[in-house]
Amino acid sequence: MSLIRTANVCKSFGELTVLKDINMSVEQGEVVCIIGPSGAGKSTFLRSLNQLEKITSGKIFIDEELFLHRENGSTVLRLEQIKYKQLLLEMGMVFQSFNLFPHKTVMENIMLAPVHVKKQSKAEAEKKAGELLAKVGLADKSDEYPARLSGGQQQRVAIARALAMEPKIMLFDEPTSALDPELVGEVLGVMKSLAESGMTMLVVTHEMGFAREVADRVIFMCDGVIAEQGPPEKLFSKPENPRTRQFLNSIL
Amino acid sequence: MSKIKGLTKLPAKYIPLAVAMAVIIALLAVLAITKPPAQNVKGQISPALKEAAGTKYSETYYNYICFNAVRGKDLKTAQEETYVGFVGNIFAVPDKSPIAPVVDIFFWLPALIRGSGITISLSIVSVLAGVFASVFLALGKISKVKLLNKTCSAYIFFFRGTPLMMQLYFVYYALPQIHPALTINNKFLAAFLAFALNSAAYCAEIIRAAIQSIDKGQFEASKALGLSYGQTMQLVIIPQSIRRLIPPVANEFIMVLKDASLVSIIALSDLTHTTRSISSSSSSALVYIPAMIIYLIITAFFTFVFNKLEKRFSIYQ
Ligand SMILES: Nc1ncnc2c1ncn2[C@@H]1O[C@H](COP(=O)(O)OP(=O)(O)O)[C@@H](O)[C@H]1O
Ligand SMILES: [Mg+2]
Repeated sequence: MSLIRTANVCKSFGELTVLKDINMSVEQGEVVCIIGPSGAGKSTFLRSLNQLEKITSGKIFIDEELFLHRENGSTVLRLEQIKYKQLLLEMGMVFQSFNLFPHKTVMENIMLAPVHVKKQSKAEAEKKAGELLAKVGLADKSDEYPARLSGGQQQRVAIARALAMEPKIMLFDEPTSALDPELVGEVLGVMKSLAESGMTMLVVTHEMGFAREVADRVIFMCDGVIAEQGPPEKLFSKPENPRTRQFLNSIL
Repeated sequence: MSKIKGLTKLPAKYIPLAVAMAVIIALLAVLAITKPPAQNVKGQISPALKEAAGTKYSETYYNYICFNAVRGKDLKTAQEETYVGFVGNIFAVPDKSPIAPVVDIFFWLPALIRGSGITISLSIVSVLAGVFASVFLALGKISKVKLLNKTCSAYIFFFRGTPLMMQLYFVYYALPQIHPALTINNKFLAAFLAFALNSAAYCAEIIRAAIQSIDKGQFEASKALGLSYGQTMQLVIIPQSIRRLIPPVANEFIMVLKDASLVSIIALSDLTHTTRSISSSSSSALVYIPAMIIYLIITAFFTFVFNKLEKRFSIYQ
């Protein structure tokens, strides 16, 4: 069963067409990595899925339900509000720049959405947040403000914050690109254990080692299209598309 | 550990201050106890003056902590006698005596302080109301709802684009001419209305700028977590804006404190108006010195308070 499926998704910013007819899906329990050169439209695609960008046309299915259908920049069909919000919350998002709330402690960052969106009790949310912090290895940082943490720690908090909403799929947009090299490992470690625990993940990344080791499938995106996709061992060792080959050569 | 160290350090640092305070309090207490009783001081005024003045006699008596003073005045001839009671003695203060100006200042002080009270309270309530209203104006101005956006922009444009003095005239003098029901008899209320409406426009621009200076990632993270627009503003954006708001709002407050002197034009007895009345009735410019010093003390005090506030709100930075 696919958790997310897109059909003919296109996105333009004015004259500039950034996504051209994207058809893809992510199955339950699958870890999919998206790689590709800068400007390929990877972020735009991820952001289109959780509605930070409005697609120009195409269909998005979540949990096999038609979540959104747009044509020529206007909405043809959208689920009714309650169901729409519910499906939207099945996606958790981790940003390149963490985007933690600087005026809230680590604990408050994690509890905010469960308390105000899911209407959990404070005690319940706090208990859950404590468990998540332990899971990302930051149980002792719950009362710190984000500014007091390293980038790697902040990104792990951001992961815990997204997990607190109990999403079915986690979207990662270059989660380690803003980090100093020595801090990349700790974040990838958390992501790897998350994948091992069965979480469905869609990860835009430049970490080829991570993609090779953790991904079930790798998508190569280039100029707004999916140029090639397949299991990592195949895509990395025997790429079929010359552009994939060129990209892999340029970064390895 | 560091907390305990901090605690044991505190008294040592404050011992000289505490000793100085104790000495000053003791001194004041002695002066307060030894100062002559009120009726003795008042009794010094010559019966001749009272008789000559008749019904036009006026007497002011002020009891300060360590001395007291009385001034009897014949309102017809402006002739006056002044006596100061201090450490068991009562001194006559002749008009030409070198300490006469100092004594004058003490006679003006209560009125000046009353005037300051009006200046300060008018500024505080106006800016508070202005800030409150301006949050809605600012949210309206950044809203994508056309009508709301246009209305709020027009309001801000109008109140920033016309003189405050004219707005004040309008509220106090012109509204009653438009319709008697719009009359505001209480001068303080009229001044408050004009100042709050004006301040709201200025603060709205400050708040809009602060909100728009917040990183767009904060909006995106909130949205991705499922927060509504209202929740995002209330829980994420506005709390972060507050620290950035404090310096410009402090600035606005100090401006209002000084602009409050405009209420002289509707004869509300603020510090400036009181100063002018005293100066014309005493035909002396001397009163301007304590008045300006009071203004400086007020602005210095509020600048200090706002600096402290800003520090408090920056703990997470
Ligand atoms: N908000 C926007 N407005 C206009 N152009 C944009 C916007 N966001 C992205 N783009 C353009 O879309 C293209 C793809 O961007 P992006 O999805 O960020 O690429 P990637 O994440 O693969 O590096 C780029 O050319 C970028 O300049
Ligand atoms: Mg990107």
